[in-house]
Amino acid sequence: MKESVFSAIALYVQSVFRGAWSIAGSCKTALPYLIRWGDLKKEVTEGYPDPISSKTADDLPTRSRGLLFNDIDRCTGCRECETACPSRCIRVESEPGSDQAKVWVSVFDIDFSRCIFCGLCVEACQPGSLVHTKQYEGAAYAVPDLVASFGRGQITEEHRNKWAMMRKLGESDGVAP
Amino acid sequence: MMTSENSWIVAWSNSLGFPEALPQWLYAVVALVSVFVFVVVPSGGLMSYLERKLAADLQARVGPNRTGPAGLLQPIADLFKLLQKESRVDWSWKENLWLSVHTMALYSTLAVLPLGSMAVLVNTEMSVFLPFWSALVLALGTMLLGLSQNSVPGWFGGIRVAAQTLAGSFPALISLLCTGVRSGSFRWSALAESQGFSPWEWTVFANPFQMVAFSVFVMSGLVLLAIPPLDGGLSMSDIHGGVSSHLYGRRLSLFQFGRFYGFFFWSVITVVLFLGAWDLPAQVTVSLKAGGANQVLALLELIWLLLKTFGLMLLIVWVAKVNSRSRVDQITDFTWKVLSPFSLFALVGASLWAGWRAI
Repeated sequence: MKESVFSAIALYVQSVFRGAWSIAGSCKTALPYLIRWGDLKKEVTEGYPDPISSKTADDLPTRSRGLLFNDIDRCTGCRECETACPSRCIRVESEPGSDQAKVWVSVFDIDFSRCIFCGLCVEACQPGSLVHTKQYEGAAYAVPDLVASFGRGQITEEHRNKWAMMRKLGESDGVAP
Repeated sequence: MMTSENSWIVAWSNSLGFPEALPQWLYAVVALVSVFVFVVVPSGGLMSYLERKLAADLQARVGPNRTGPAGLLQPIADLFKLLQKESRVDWSWKENLWLSVHTMALYSTLAVLPLGSMAVLVNTEMSVFLPFWSALVLALGTMLLGLSQNSVPGWFGGIRVAAQTLAGSFPALISLLCTGVRSGSFRWSALAESQGFSPWEWTVFANPFQMVAFSVFVMSGLVLLAIPPLDGGLSMSDIHGGVSSHLYGRRLSLFQFGRFYGFFFWSVITVVLFLGAWDLPAQVTVSLKAGGANQVLALLELIWLLLKTFGLMLLIVWVAKVNSRSRVDQITDFTWKVLSPFSLFALVGASLWAGWRAI
Protein backbone atom coordinates (compact mmCIF):
# COMPACT_ATOMS: atom_id res chain seq x y z
CA MET A 1 0.00 0.00 0.00
CA LYS A 2 1.28 3.41 -0.91
CA GLU A 3 2.08 5.57 2.09
CA SER A 4 -0.43 8.42 2.15
CA VAL A 5 -1.26 11.07 4.70
CA PHE A 6 -4.51 9.35 5.54
CA SER A 7 -2.98 5.97 6.11
CA ALA A 8 -0.33 7.57 8.33
CA ILE A 9 -3.03 9.30 10.37
CA ALA A 10 -5.03 6.07 10.56
CA LEU A 11 -1.96 4.20 11.81
CA TYR A 12 -1.28 6.92 14.38
CA VAL A 13 -4.84 6.88 15.73
CA GLN A 14 -4.82 3.10 15.71
CA SER A 15 -1.62 2.95 17.75
CA VAL A 16 -2.95 5.48 20.26
CA PHE A 17 -6.10 3.44 20.76
CA ARG A 18 -4.11 0.24 20.98
CA GLY A 19 -2.05 1.77 23.79
CA ALA A 20 -5.14 2.93 25.63
CA TRP A 21 -6.67 -0.53 25.17
CA SER A 22 -3.62 -2.22 26.64
CA ILE A 23 -3.65 0.10 29.69
CA ALA A 24 -7.35 -0.63 30.20
CA GLY A 25 -6.65 -4.34 29.79
CA SER A 26 -4.10 -4.44 32.58
CA CYS A 27 -6.45 -2.45 34.83
CA LYS A 28 -9.19 -4.98 34.10
CA THR A 29 -6.88 -7.90 34.85
CA ALA A 30 -6.14 -6.56 38.33
CA LEU A 31 -9.78 -5.82 39.13
CA PRO A 32 -10.73 -9.33 40.37
CA TYR A 33 -7.93 -9.09 42.93
CA LEU A 34 -9.27 -5.77 44.19
CA ILE A 35 -12.86 -6.94 44.67
CA ARG A 36 -11.90 -10.53 45.65
CA TRP A 37 -13.71 -12.12 42.75
CA GLY A 38 -14.01 -15.90 42.38
CA ASP A 39 -10.91 -17.82 43.45
CA LEU A 40 -9.19 -14.69 44.73
CA LYS A 41 -11.14 -14.41 47.97
CA LYS A 42 -8.10 -14.68 50.17
CA GLU A 43 -4.78 -12.89 50.37
CA VAL A 44 -1.82 -15.01 49.33
CA THR A 45 0.46 -13.37 51.88
CA GLU A 46 0.05 -14.61 55.43
CA GLY A 47 0.32 -12.40 58.48
CA TYR A 48 3.34 -12.65 60.79
CA PRO A 49 2.29 -15.01 63.59
CA ASP A 50 1.83 -12.85 66.66
CA PRO A 51 -1.12 -11.56 68.72
CA ILE A 52 -1.74 -8.66 66.30
CA SER A 53 -2.45 -11.00 63.43
CA SER A 54 -4.31 -13.33 65.90
CA LYS A 55 -1.96 -16.14 64.96
CA THR A 56 0.42 -17.86 67.35
CA ALA A 57 3.46 -20.04 66.97
CA ASP A 58 1.16 -23.08 67.26
CA ASP A 59 -0.56 -22.05 64.03
CA LEU A 60 2.65 -22.64 62.09
CA PRO A 61 2.81 -25.71 59.84
CA THR A 62 3.58 -29.02 61.59
CA ARG A 63 6.97 -29.46 59.95
CA SER A 64 8.07 -25.82 60.22
CA ARG A 65 11.73 -25.52 61.14
CA GLY A 66 12.05 -23.15 64.06
CA LEU A 67 14.83 -22.88 66.63
CA LEU A 68 16.46 -26.23 67.53
CA PHE A 69 16.00 -27.94 70.86
CA ASN A 70 17.95 -30.91 72.19
CA ASP A 71 16.46 -33.14 74.88
CA ILE A 72 19.70 -33.93 76.68
CA ASP A 73 18.15 -36.83 78.64
CA ARG A 74 17.67 -38.72 75.38
CA CYS A 75 20.81 -37.48 73.64
CA THR A 76 23.47 -40.17 73.24
CA GLY A 77 26.29 -37.82 72.24
CA CYS A 78 26.85 -39.76 68.99
CA ARG A 79 27.85 -36.57 67.10
CA GLU A 80 25.84 -37.55 64.01
CA CYS A 81 24.29 -34.07 64.02
CA GLU A 82 27.71 -32.45 64.23
CA THR A 83 28.80 -34.46 61.19
CA ALA A 84 25.65 -33.73 59.23
CA CYS A 85 25.66 -29.99 59.84
CA PRO A 86 26.73 -28.19 56.64
CA SER A 87 27.41 -24.89 58.42
CA ARG A 88 29.24 -26.54 61.34
CA CYS A 89 27.27 -24.76 63.98
CA ILE A 90 26.87 -27.72 66.35
CA ARG A 91 29.60 -28.57 68.82
CA VAL A 92 29.30 -31.79 70.84
CA GLU A 93 31.67 -33.05 73.51
CA SER A 94 30.98 -36.17 75.47
CA GLU A 95 32.87 -38.34 77.96
CA PRO A 96 32.25 -41.51 79.92
CA GLY A 97 29.58 -41.01 82.50
CA SER A 98 28.82 -42.77 85.76
CA ASP A 99 29.95 -46.06 84.25
CA GLN A 100 31.67 -47.10 81.03
CA ALA A 101 28.37 -47.89 79.24
CA LYS A 102 26.97 -44.42 79.77
CA VAL A 103 27.84 -41.20 77.94
CA TRP A 104 27.92 -37.84 79.62
CA VAL A 105 27.23 -35.10 77.02
CA SER A 106 29.12 -32.28 78.62
CA VAL A 107 28.84 -29.79 75.75
CA PHE A 108 26.06 -29.49 73.20
CA ASP A 109 26.20 -25.97 71.69
CA ILE A 110 24.20 -24.79 68.69
CA ASP A 111 25.41 -21.51 67.23
CA PHE A 112 22.26 -19.92 65.77
CA SER A 113 24.30 -17.15 64.21
CA ARG A 114 25.57 -19.79 61.77
CA CYS A 115 22.63 -22.21 61.66
CA ILE A 116 20.76 -22.23 58.35
CA PHE A 117 17.79 -24.24 59.65
CA CYS A 118 18.21 -26.90 57.00
CA GLY A 119 17.03 -29.67 59.30
CA LEU A 120 19.76 -32.17 58.34
CA CYS A 121 20.82 -32.60 61.99
CA VAL A 122 17.27 -33.50 63.00
CA GLU A 123 17.14 -36.12 60.24
CA ALA A 124 20.47 -37.54 61.36
CA CYS A 125 19.51 -37.75 65.04
CA GLN A 126 19.00 -41.46 65.86
CA PRO A 127 17.50 -41.16 69.39
CA GLY A 128 15.26 -38.32 68.18
CA SER A 129 16.38 -35.94 70.88
CA LEU A 130 17.18 -33.05 68.54
CA VAL A 131 14.00 -31.42 67.23
CA HIS A 132 12.83 -28.24 65.61
CA THR A 133 10.53 -26.23 67.84
CA LYS A 134 8.00 -23.71 66.55
CA GLN A 135 9.86 -20.85 68.19
CA TYR A 136 11.08 -18.40 65.59
CA GLU A 137 11.99 -15.24 67.51
CA GLY A 138 15.63 -15.73 68.48
CA ALA A 139 16.98 -12.20 68.14
CA ALA A 140 19.76 -11.18 70.55
CA TYR A 141 21.77 -8.04 71.22
CA ALA A 142 25.17 -9.73 70.97
CA VAL A 143 26.41 -12.52 68.73
CA PRO A 144 27.62 -14.77 71.62
CA ASP A 145 24.05 -14.72 73.00
CA LEU A 146 22.95 -16.59 69.89
CA VAL A 147 24.67 -19.78 71.09
CA ALA A 148 22.23 -22.17 72.73
CA SER A 149 23.83 -24.58 75.20
CA PHE A 150 22.11 -27.86 75.99
CA GLY A 151 25.09 -29.74 77.47
CA ARG A 152 25.29 -31.01 81.03
CA GLY A 153 28.57 -29.24 81.74
CA GLN A 154 32.01 -30.67 82.56
CA ILE A 155 32.17 -33.56 84.99
CA THR A 156 33.46 -32.38 88.36
CA GLU A 157 34.64 -34.19 91.44
CA GLU A 158 31.24 -33.55 92.97
CA HIS A 159 29.57 -35.57 90.20
CA ARG A 160 31.91 -38.48 90.72
CA ASN A 161 31.27 -38.51 94.46
CA LYS A 162 27.54 -38.45 93.84
CA TRP A 163 27.73 -41.34 91.35
CA ALA A 164 29.81 -43.38 93.74
CA MET A 165 27.17 -42.80 96.45
CA MET A 166 24.39 -43.80 94.04
CA ARG A 167 26.19 -46.96 92.97
CA LYS A 168 26.49 -47.90 96.64
CA LEU A 169 22.76 -47.37 97.16
CA GLY A 170 21.90 -49.09 93.83
CA GLU A 171 19.93 -46.14 92.43
CA SER A 172 19.64 -45.03 88.84
CA ASP A 173 21.49 -41.85 87.88
CA GLY A 174 19.05 -40.82 85.12
CA VAL A 175 21.73 -40.60 82.42
CA ALA A 176 20.84 -42.36 79.19
CA PRO A 177 22.91 -45.42 78.33
CA MET B 1 -5.17 39.65 47.52
CA MET B 2 -8.37 38.77 49.28
CA THR B 3 -11.71 39.98 48.10
CA SER B 4 -14.58 40.53 50.48
CA GLU B 5 -16.77 37.89 48.88
CA ASN B 6 -14.18 35.22 49.64
CA SER B 7 -13.50 36.09 53.23
CA TRP B 8 -14.22 32.64 54.59
CA ILE B 9 -11.31 32.88 56.96
CA VAL B 10 -12.70 36.20 58.28
CA ALA B 11 -16.00 34.50 59.05
CA TRP B 12 -14.26 31.58 60.78
CA SER B 13 -11.93 33.74 62.83
CA ASN B 14 -14.79 36.03 63.91
CA SER B 15 -16.84 33.08 65.02
CA LEU B 16 -13.86 31.89 67.07
CA GLY B 17 -13.77 35.26 68.87
CA PHE B 18 -10.86 37.04 67.17
CA PRO B 19 -11.18 40.81 66.68
CA GLU B 20 -12.55 41.84 63.32
CA ALA B 21 -10.00 44.46 62.36
CA LEU B 22 -7.00 42.20 61.74
CA PRO B 23 -4.78 43.16 58.80
CA GLN B 24 -5.43 41.45 55.49
CA TRP B 25 -2.05 39.75 55.26
CA LEU B 26 -2.59 38.09 58.63
CA TYR B 27 -5.84 36.61 57.40
CA ALA B 28 -4.07 35.37 54.28
CA VAL B 29 -1.31 33.73 56.33
CA VAL B 30 -3.82 32.11 58.67
CA ALA B 31 -5.80 30.90 55.66
CA LEU B 32 -2.77 29.33 54.00
CA VAL B 33 -1.55 27.67 57.19
CA SER B 34 -4.98 26.34 58.09
CA VAL B 35 -5.54 24.96 54.58
CA PHE B 36 -2.17 23.23 54.78
CA VAL B 37 -2.68 21.85 58.29
CA PHE B 38 -6.35 20.92 58.14
CA VAL B 39 -6.78 19.90 54.50
CA VAL B 40 -3.50 19.02 52.82
CA VAL B 41 -1.69 17.12 55.60
CA PRO B 42 -4.66 14.91 56.63
CA SER B 43 -5.34 14.22 52.95
CA GLY B 44 -1.72 13.20 52.56
CA GLY B 45 -1.93 10.72 55.42
CA LEU B 46 -5.24 9.32 54.26
CA MET B 47 -4.14 8.99 50.64
CA SER B 48 -0.84 7.33 51.46
CA TYR B 49 -2.76 4.75 53.53
CA LEU B 50 -5.43 4.21 50.87
CA GLU B 51 -2.80 3.96 48.16
CA ARG B 52 -0.89 1.26 50.02
CA LYS B 53 -4.03 -0.68 50.85
CA LEU B 54 -5.29 -0.45 47.28
CA ALA B 55 -1.93 -1.54 45.89
CA ALA B 56 -1.91 -4.45 48.35
CA ASP B 57 -5.40 -5.53 47.32
CA LEU B 58 -4.50 -5.36 43.63
CA GLN B 59 -1.49 -7.59 44.25
CA ALA B 60 -3.27 -10.07 46.60
CA ARG B 61 -1.26 -8.87 49.59
CA VAL B 62 -2.38 -7.69 53.03
CA GLY B 63 -0.86 -4.21 53.19
CA PRO B 64 -0.26 -2.21 56.37
CA ASN B 65 -2.06 -3.90 59.27
CA ARG B 66 0.13 -3.52 62.35
CA THR B 67 -0.08 0.09 63.54
CA GLY B 68 -3.55 0.82 64.84
CA PRO B 69 -6.77 -0.79 63.64
CA ALA B 70 -6.21 -2.15 60.11
CA GLY B 71 -2.94 -0.22 59.94
CA LEU B 72 -4.63 3.19 60.02
CA LEU B 73 -1.81 4.82 62.00
CA GLN B 74 0.85 3.73 59.51
CA PRO B 75 1.31 7.23 57.96
CA ILE B 76 2.04 8.70 61.41
CA ALA B 77 4.48 5.90 62.21
CA ASP B 78 6.22 6.47 58.86
CA LEU B 79 6.48 10.18 59.57
CA PHE B 80 8.17 9.65 62.93
CA LYS B 81 10.46 7.02 61.46
CA LEU B 82 11.66 9.47 58.81
CA LEU B 83 11.98 12.36 61.27
CA GLN B 84 14.30 10.48 63.61
CA LYS B 85 16.70 9.42 60.87
CA GLU B 86 20.12 10.98 60.86
CA SER B 87 20.93 13.22 57.92
CA ARG B 88 23.97 13.10 55.72
CA VAL B 89 27.00 15.05 56.86
CA ASP B 90 28.24 16.29 53.50
CA TRP B 91 25.07 18.20 52.75
CA SER B 92 25.92 21.40 50.86
CA TRP B 93 24.23 24.77 51.26
CA LYS B 94 23.26 24.65 47.58
CA GLU B 95 21.09 21.62 48.17
CA ASN B 96 19.44 23.36 51.12
CA LEU B 97 18.81 26.41 48.97
CA TRP B 98 17.24 24.52 46.12
CA LEU B 99 15.24 22.25 48.35
CA SER B 100 13.72 25.31 50.01
CA VAL B 101 13.09 27.05 46.66
CA HIS B 102 11.48 23.88 45.39
CA THR B 103 9.30 23.63 48.49
CA MET B 104 8.29 27.29 48.45
CA ALA B 105 7.34 27.12 44.78
CA LEU B 106 5.27 24.08 45.53
CA TYR B 107 3.35 25.51 48.43
CA SER B 108 2.83 28.88 46.78
CA THR B 109 0.03 27.09 44.91
CA LEU B 110 -1.80 26.86 48.23
CA ALA B 111 -2.81 30.49 47.68
CA VAL B 112 -4.62 29.64 44.45
CA LEU B 113 -6.04 26.30 45.53
CA PRO B 114 -9.82 26.45 45.07
CA LEU B 115 -11.54 24.55 47.88
CA GLY B 116 -15.14 25.79 47.72
CA SER B 117 -17.23 28.76 46.66
CA MET B 118 -16.25 30.57 49.87
CA ALA B 119 -12.71 29.19 50.10
CA VAL B 120 -11.01 30.76 47.10
CA LEU B 121 -8.27 33.17 47.99
CA VAL B 122 -7.32 34.41 44.52
CA ASN B 123 -10.22 34.66 42.11
CA THR B 124 -9.15 36.69 39.10
CA GLU B 125 -9.58 36.24 35.36
CA MET B 126 -6.26 34.41 35.21
CA SER B 127 -6.27 32.49 38.51
CA VAL B 128 -6.39 29.16 36.66
CA PHE B 129 -2.96 29.86 35.18
CA LEU B 130 -1.23 30.67 38.45
CA PRO B 131 -0.54 27.01 39.37
CA PHE B 132 1.43 26.67 36.12
CA TRP B 133 3.79 29.40 37.17
CA SER B 134 4.39 27.51 40.40
CA ALA B 135 4.82 24.25 38.55
CA LEU B 136 7.51 25.76 36.31
CA VAL B 137 9.37 27.25 39.27
CA LEU B 138 9.00 23.89 40.99
CA ALA B 139 10.64 22.21 38.00
CA LEU B 140 13.47 24.74 38.09
CA GLY B 141 13.98 24.15 41.80
CA THR B 142 13.91 20.38 41.34
CA MET B 143 16.36 20.53 38.44
CA LEU B 144 18.83 22.71 40.33
CA LEU B 145 18.42 20.53 43.43
CA GLY B 146 19.51 17.61 41.26
CA LEU B 147 22.39 19.51 39.66
CA SER B 148 23.69 20.75 43.03
CA GLN B 149 24.04 17.20 44.32
CA ASN B 150 27.11 16.66 42.15
CA SER B 151 26.17 13.09 41.30
CA VAL B 152 25.08 11.16 38.23
CA PRO B 153 21.54 10.38 39.46
CA GLY B 154 21.15 14.02 40.48
CA TRP B 155 22.31 15.34 37.12
CA PHE B 156 20.20 13.02 35.03
CA GLY B 157 17.23 13.26 37.36
CA GLY B 158 17.29 17.05 37.24
CA ILE B 159 17.49 17.22 33.48
CA ARG B 160 14.79 14.58 33.09
CA VAL B 161 12.44 16.41 35.44
CA ALA B 162 12.97 19.63 33.47
CA ALA B 163 12.33 17.82 30.17
CA GLN B 164 9.15 16.27 31.53
CA THR B 165 7.86 19.58 32.84
CA LEU B 166 8.47 21.36 29.56
CA ALA B 167 6.79 18.55 27.63
CA GLY B 168 3.82 18.36 29.97
CA SER B 169 3.04 22.05 30.31
CA PHE B 170 2.16 22.49 26.62
CA PRO B 171 -0.77 20.03 26.40
CA ALA B 172 -1.84 20.98 29.92
CA LEU B 173 -2.17 24.65 29.00
CA ILE B 174 -3.95 23.91 25.72
CA SER B 175 -6.46 21.53 27.28
CA LEU B 176 -6.98 24.05 30.07
CA LEU B 177 -8.20 26.53 27.45
CA CYS B 178 -11.01 24.11 26.55
CA THR B 179 -12.67 24.64 29.92
CA GLY B 180 -12.45 28.41 29.51
CA VAL B 181 -14.07 28.07 26.09
CA ARG B 182 -17.06 26.42 27.76
CA SER B 183 -17.37 28.57 30.87
CA GLY B 184 -16.38 31.86 29.24
CA SER B 185 -13.98 32.76 32.05
CA PHE B 186 -10.97 31.51 33.94
CA ARG B 187 -12.28 32.55 37.32
CA TRP B 188 -12.61 29.61 39.68
CA SER B 189 -16.10 30.83 40.58
CA ALA B 190 -17.17 31.08 36.92
CA LEU B 191 -15.80 27.61 36.18
CA ALA B 192 -17.78 26.21 39.10
CA GLU B 193 -20.95 28.06 38.13
CA SER B 194 -20.83 26.71 34.57
CA GLN B 195 -21.14 23.20 35.99
CA GLY B 196 -23.53 21.47 38.36
CA PHE B 197 -23.96 18.70 40.91
CA SER B 198 -25.05 15.89 38.61
CA PRO B 199 -22.48 14.33 36.27
CA TRP B 200 -24.28 15.38 33.07
CA GLU B 201 -23.72 19.01 34.07
CA TRP B 202 -19.96 18.49 34.37
CA THR B 203 -17.63 19.92 31.77
CA VAL B 204 -16.09 16.53 31.07
CA PHE B 205 -19.40 15.14 29.77
CA ALA B 206 -20.47 18.33 27.97
CA ASN B 207 -19.15 17.13 24.63
CA PRO B 208 -16.62 14.60 23.29
CA PHE B 209 -13.94 17.26 22.91
CA GLN B 210 -14.12 18.12 26.59
CA MET B 211 -13.72 14.41 27.33
CA VAL B 212 -10.51 14.39 25.28
CA ALA B 213 -9.40 17.60 26.97
CA PHE B 214 -10.01 16.01 30.38
CA SER B 215 -7.92 12.92 29.62
CA VAL B 216 -5.13 15.04 28.16
CA PHE B 217 -5.22 17.40 31.15
CA VAL B 218 -4.95 14.58 33.69
CA MET B 219 -2.12 12.82 31.84
CA SER B 220 -0.16 15.98 31.13
CA GLY B 221 -0.38 16.84 34.82
CA LEU B 222 1.14 13.47 35.66
CA VAL B 223 3.97 14.26 33.22
CA LEU B 224 4.36 17.84 34.43
CA LEU B 225 4.73 16.93 38.09
CA ALA B 226 6.35 13.49 37.52
CA ILE B 227 3.64 11.50 39.27
CA PRO B 228 3.36 7.71 38.82
CA PRO B 229 2.82 6.06 36.35
CA LEU B 230 4.47 8.80 34.27
CA ASP B 231 7.38 9.46 36.66
CA GLY B 232 10.32 8.38 34.52
CA GLY B 233 12.23 11.49 35.67
CA LEU B 234 12.36 10.14 39.22
CA SER B 235 12.66 6.48 38.28
CA MET B 236 14.02 4.20 40.99
CA SER B 237 15.35 1.45 38.77
CA ASP B 238 17.72 3.26 36.42
CA ILE B 239 18.72 6.49 38.20
CA HIS B 240 18.04 5.56 41.85
CA GLY B 241 15.18 8.00 42.24
CA GLY B 242 16.94 10.81 40.34
CA VAL B 243 16.78 14.03 42.33
CA SER B 244 15.61 12.24 45.46
CA SER B 245 18.51 9.76 45.42
CA HIS B 246 20.58 11.91 47.76
CA LEU B 247 17.77 12.88 50.12
CA TYR B 248 17.42 11.13 53.46
CA GLY B 249 15.35 11.44 56.58
CA ARG B 250 13.37 14.61 57.04
CA ARG B 251 14.53 16.08 53.74
CA LEU B 252 13.24 13.02 51.96
CA SER B 253 9.94 13.25 53.82
CA LEU B 254 9.70 16.91 52.79
CA PHE B 255 10.35 15.96 49.18
CA GLN B 256 7.96 13.01 49.19
CA PHE B 257 5.22 15.01 50.82
CA GLY B 258 5.78 17.69 48.20
CA ARG B 259 5.26 15.09 45.51
CA PHE B 260 2.03 14.04 47.15
CA TYR B 261 0.96 17.66 47.36
CA GLY B 262 1.62 18.14 43.64
CA PHE B 263 -0.55 15.15 42.88
CA PHE B 264 -3.24 16.43 45.25
CA PHE B 265 -3.40 19.98 43.93
CA TRP B 266 -3.42 18.79 40.34
CA SER B 267 -6.37 16.50 41.16
CA VAL B 268 -8.20 19.33 42.93
CA ILE B 269 -7.72 21.58 39.90
CA THR B 270 -8.87 18.83 37.56
CA VAL B 271 -11.99 18.27 39.62
CA VAL B 272 -12.75 22.00 39.65
CA LEU B 273 -12.16 22.35 35.92
CA PHE B 274 -13.81 19.21 34.61
CA LEU B 275 -15.62 17.21 37.28
CA GLY B 276 -18.23 19.62 38.59
CA ALA B 277 -16.04 21.53 41.06
CA TRP B 278 -17.64 21.78 44.53
CA ASP B 279 -21.20 22.15 43.22
CA LEU B 280 -23.84 20.73 45.54
CA PRO B 281 -27.48 20.31 44.45
CA ALA B 282 -28.90 23.79 43.80
CA GLN B 283 -31.66 23.55 46.42
CA VAL B 284 -29.16 22.55 49.12
CA THR B 285 -26.97 25.56 48.36
CA VAL B 286 -29.93 27.95 48.25
CA SER B 287 -31.53 26.70 51.47
CA LEU B 288 -28.23 26.72 53.36
CA LYS B 289 -27.45 30.24 52.19
CA ALA B 290 -30.97 31.39 53.08
CA GLY B 291 -30.58 29.88 56.53
CA GLY B 292 -27.31 31.75 56.99
CA ALA B 293 -25.38 28.50 57.45
CA ASN B 294 -22.47 29.59 55.29
CA GLN B 295 -19.91 27.65 57.30
CA VAL B 296 -21.89 24.42 56.97
CA LEU B 297 -22.12 25.05 53.24
CA ALA B 298 -18.37 25.66 53.01
CA LEU B 299 -17.68 22.42 54.87
CA LEU B 300 -20.08 20.39 52.71
CA GLU B 301 -18.56 21.84 49.55
CA LEU B 302 -15.06 21.04 50.78
CA ILE B 303 -16.02 17.45 51.64
CA TRP B 304 -17.72 16.89 48.29
CA LEU B 305 -14.74 18.35 46.42
CA LEU B 306 -12.29 16.24 48.40
CA LEU B 307 -14.34 13.07 47.86
CA LYS B 308 -14.21 13.57 44.10
CA THR B 309 -10.51 14.41 44.32
CA PHE B 310 -9.75 11.21 46.22
CA GLY B 311 -11.79 9.23 43.70
CA LEU B 312 -9.75 10.66 40.84
CA MET B 313 -6.47 10.07 42.69
CA LEU B 314 -7.36 6.45 43.48
CA LEU B 315 -8.25 5.92 39.83
CA ILE B 316 -4.80 7.16 38.83
CA VAL B 317 -3.19 5.02 41.54
CA TRP B 318 -5.02 1.99 40.18
CA VAL B 319 -3.65 2.64 36.68
CA ALA B 320 -0.19 3.32 38.11
CA LYS B 321 -0.06 0.14 40.18
CA VAL B 322 -0.98 -2.30 37.42
CA ASN B 323 1.05 -0.79 34.59
CA SER B 324 4.79 -0.67 34.20
CA ARG B 325 6.53 2.65 34.62
CA SER B 326 7.40 4.30 31.31
CA ARG B 327 10.91 5.41 30.45
CA VAL B 328 11.49 9.15 30.45
CA ASP B 329 12.04 9.31 26.68
CA GLN B 330 8.83 7.35 26.13
CA ILE B 331 7.02 9.82 28.35
CA THR B 332 8.26 12.96 26.56
CA ASP B 333 7.71 11.25 23.21
CA PHE B 334 4.15 10.38 24.18
CA THR B 335 3.55 13.90 25.51
CA TRP B 336 4.78 15.72 22.42
CA LYS B 337 3.44 13.32 19.83
CA VAL B 338 0.15 12.20 21.34
CA LEU B 339 -1.01 14.50 24.13
CA SER B 340 -0.15 17.75 22.33
CA PRO B 341 -1.95 16.96 19.03
CA PHE B 342 -4.92 15.64 20.95
CA SER B 343 -5.07 18.79 23.08
CA LEU B 344 -5.07 20.97 19.94
CA PHE B 345 -7.76 18.74 18.45
CA ALA B 346 -9.82 19.12 21.62
CA LEU B 347 -9.36 22.90 21.66
CA VAL B 348 -10.46 23.31 18.03
CA GLY B 349 -13.40 20.97 18.56
CA ALA B 350 -14.49 22.59 21.80
CA SER B 351 -14.26 26.05 20.22
CA LEU B 352 -16.34 24.98 17.22
CA TRP B 353 -18.85 23.35 19.57
CA ALA B 354 -19.11 26.52 21.67
CA GLY B 355 -19.48 28.64 18.52
CA TRP B 356 -22.19 26.31 17.20
CA ARG B 357 -24.10 26.57 20.47
CA ALA B 358 -23.76 30.36 20.45
CA ILE B 359 -25.23 30.78 16.98
